[in-house]
Amino acid sequence: MSSSTDTLESPSAIPRPHPERRVAPRPGARRTARREGIFGFLMISPAVLFVTVFTLVPILASLVLSLFSWDVITAPKFVGLNNYQRLAADGTVLHSFGVTLILALGIVILQLVCGLGLAVLVNQRRKPWSKAFFRTTFYLPLLASTAAVSIFMGYMFDAKFGVINYYLTSLGLPAIPWLTSTWGSMLTIVLITVWQQVGFTFVMFVAALTSMPSDVLEAAAIDGAGPLRTLVRVKIPLISPTILFATVVAMINAMQLFDQPFIMTKGGPGTATTTATIVMYQAGFQNLQFGYGSAIAMVLLLIILAITGLIFIASRKLVFYQ
Amino acid sequence: MTNRINTPLDRRTLFKIGGAGLAAAGLTSLTGCSTFAAGSGSTGTIKMLYFGQQSAATALQNALQPQIAKLDKTAKLEVTGINGTDWNDFLAKVLTQVASGSAPDIVSVATEGLQLMASKELLTPLDSYVTKDMSSLQSYFDDTHPALIESMMYQGHLYELPDSFNAGSMFYSTSLLQKAGLAEPSANWTMDEFHTNATKIARSGGDTNAFDWVVRLWGSWTSFLYANGGNLLEEGKYSGGDWLWNKAYANNGTATAGRQGGWKWGTPTANSAEAIEALEYVIDLQRSGLSPSPDVGGGSTLQGLFASDRIGMTIGGGFWAGGLHNAGMKDGSFNVQKFPTWKTNKSLFGAGGYGIFDSSKKKDLAWEVVKMMVQPSSFDLIFPGNVTTSGRKSLNTAERYKTTGPANWSVFYDQLDGSVPISAPPYYNALATSLNQRTTQAISSGNAKAALDGMQADLEKAAAAS
Repeated sequence: MSSSTDTLESPSAIPRPHPERRVAPRPGARRTARREGIFGFLMISPAVLFVTVFTLVPILASLVLSLFSWDVITAPKFVGLNNYQRLAADGTVLHSFGVTLILALGIVILQLVCGLGLAVLVNQRRKPWSKAFFRTTFYLPLLASTAAVSIFMGYMFDAKFGVINYYLTSLGLPAIPWLTSTWGSMLTIVLITVWQQVGFTFVMFVAALTSMPSDVLEAAAIDGAGPLRTLVRVKIPLISPTILFATVVAMINAMQLFDQPFIMTKGGPGTATTTATIVMYQAGFQNLQFGYGSAIAMVLLLIILAITGLIFIASRKLVFYQ
Repeated sequence: MTNRINTPLDRRTLFKIGGAGLAAAGLTSLTGCSTFAAGSGSTGTIKMLYFGQQSAATALQNALQPQIAKLDKTAKLEVTGINGTDWNDFLAKVLTQVASGSAPDIVSVATEGLQLMASKELLTPLDSYVTKDMSSLQSYFDDTHPALIESMMYQGHLYELPDSFNAGSMFYSTSLLQKAGLAEPSANWTMDEFHTNATKIARSGGDTNAFDWVVRLWGSWTSFLYANGGNLLEEGKYSGGDWLWNKAYANNGTATAGRQGGWKWGTPTANSAEAIEALEYVIDLQRSGLSPSPDVGGGSTLQGLFASDRIGMTIGGGFWAGGLHNAGMKDGSFNVQKFPTWKTNKSLFGAGGYGIFDSSKKKDLAWEVVKMMVQPSSFDLIFPGNVTTSGRKSLNTAERYKTTGPANWSVFYDQLDGSVPISAPPYYNALATSLNQRTTQAISSGNAKAALDGMQADLEKAAAAS
């Protein structure tokens, strides 16, 4: 729309109050506004308090702690940016950030693809009970305790007596070192995390697909678009805001991956699945270097913020808002 | 909208108040963490941290309470169970609890955590208490191997009274040995015989592994390292300790020859020729199909596999007797022998005992409780069912192992002669983390030297930082 063309929708067409016609405030209006303001603050205060106590204070405490050397037992000692300088030269920590990024990338991509695929398939089912059954089934793993799932999956993928290798060898295939080789352990962590988390992405995609305007789909069908073309050219652009949200949430979760590698592989073999959060735990709770652990946490927070920012910048060109 | 909140509680003011509050809260939480509450909260309550489930801790508390009441009618014992896969896990949780401001009066600590806690001055030296009560403790020292006592010393001071230990012996399935046509190993068996046995068990077929082990400091490839004459750290002793040896073991000078003020773990030697050879040996066992890839930490899976007769031989201690019995293994279906001799017959052990927190306000009462807990009558209350080896020789009897087995139970205590405790310096946690990572790296890559070079660098860094 050209800016030179004024229409009813254009900004210039919106009537603005004339300065001379501004009506003087009614007596008591300021008091009413103030009362409403206080009421508004009261309404949001529980949420503000919750976020302050459980999110902002820990982050701030972590930031402050990262400037100290503290072993829990003796008094903290201010060390300025020493922890960050040490971190920049610590190969183990830098390697763990690399591992985290690789695992997160695998998890996010697979989670989005599987979530979308399952949502499309379930959405095509006509009977409501069938849809409800699959929705529940795919969402169930998300309700299970991650620790319990990791222990259980650890047994299933065990190279010695795991049921996976049992069936593979029964079929004449070689046993796979799922948790004892570099590539095997990374793949297993990705698969198990996706298996458990895909329900969240799936439910969001199902909701987005269900609320899609039917007239657009009908128009696509009339124009002769097949199922694949409709999916790629119509459905995915229409649900792209949901894809953006799912990507951001999945990425943030994946960057904080801890339970699965910690329980199943202890970060091994070697440091193949040692994520940033595991190194953070080791620094703080095992090596009693809470300041250093906090510095790792702060750097991880910055990396997550940077990645989230990049995703939002990319979304300006990729996401379609109706 | 902006006008509506432009009141005495405007946004800028709110941010200012909030910012100041957050900063204050952050600093308060940090400084608040630096001090921890001293000992028990209520008068007359002795708090103790115990490695195990809360149900077992409560049972222990109930069992010991009548005896505590005999010491002091107003005294009450409160035992908190801390779950963990291994001592490393337990120790991390204890330290977290200390950081949260609730330090106990008594803590059960194994060799793994002794030097860490003593070096941080979390535990109080027991020297003055022991000296004061030497006459009443004489029967305890007469009955306890000096190697166990020395393993609980640090820089010349005694920090714990040990009541239990586990030496790394070799357990074997008698049925799998019979199936392979093998006789049970003798006390002076060698690594060559071990290898021959493993090969024959593997050839005998079935869904079994000739040998299996767990990645950890106690009873891992480290047992092979010790038998090969090496260690992860240079072995040494702190000076001192005469105050104890000259009195407590005055009647048994030969047993205390060379005993000093505790083990001093020196320069890392993780990539020594002995270490590389030992790690390569276990890698070769796996590559040649004699053992599977090992699990990290714990040992419950290994015990389950052994109990179901799927493992021919494995490293275990006295705790396996009760463990295998509880898993359904019948006495006679398994037995034990000393770890085979390689270049030396040096083997390893880890001990457990009780220390008093330095911050405790009831140290005198805590000391009385500690003394009570190392009495022979307390052992089965604390460890029912042979789930560890008693530190008192008089409790290691045929009667004790009659139900659980193994038939050759005497090797548990006998192995203490010439045995060295696991190398757990003040930076034990960093050592354990590195050991786990570098061992799995070596198993995965097959390159023991590269992994141990990495471990050497890790340990040098950790030693310098400690």
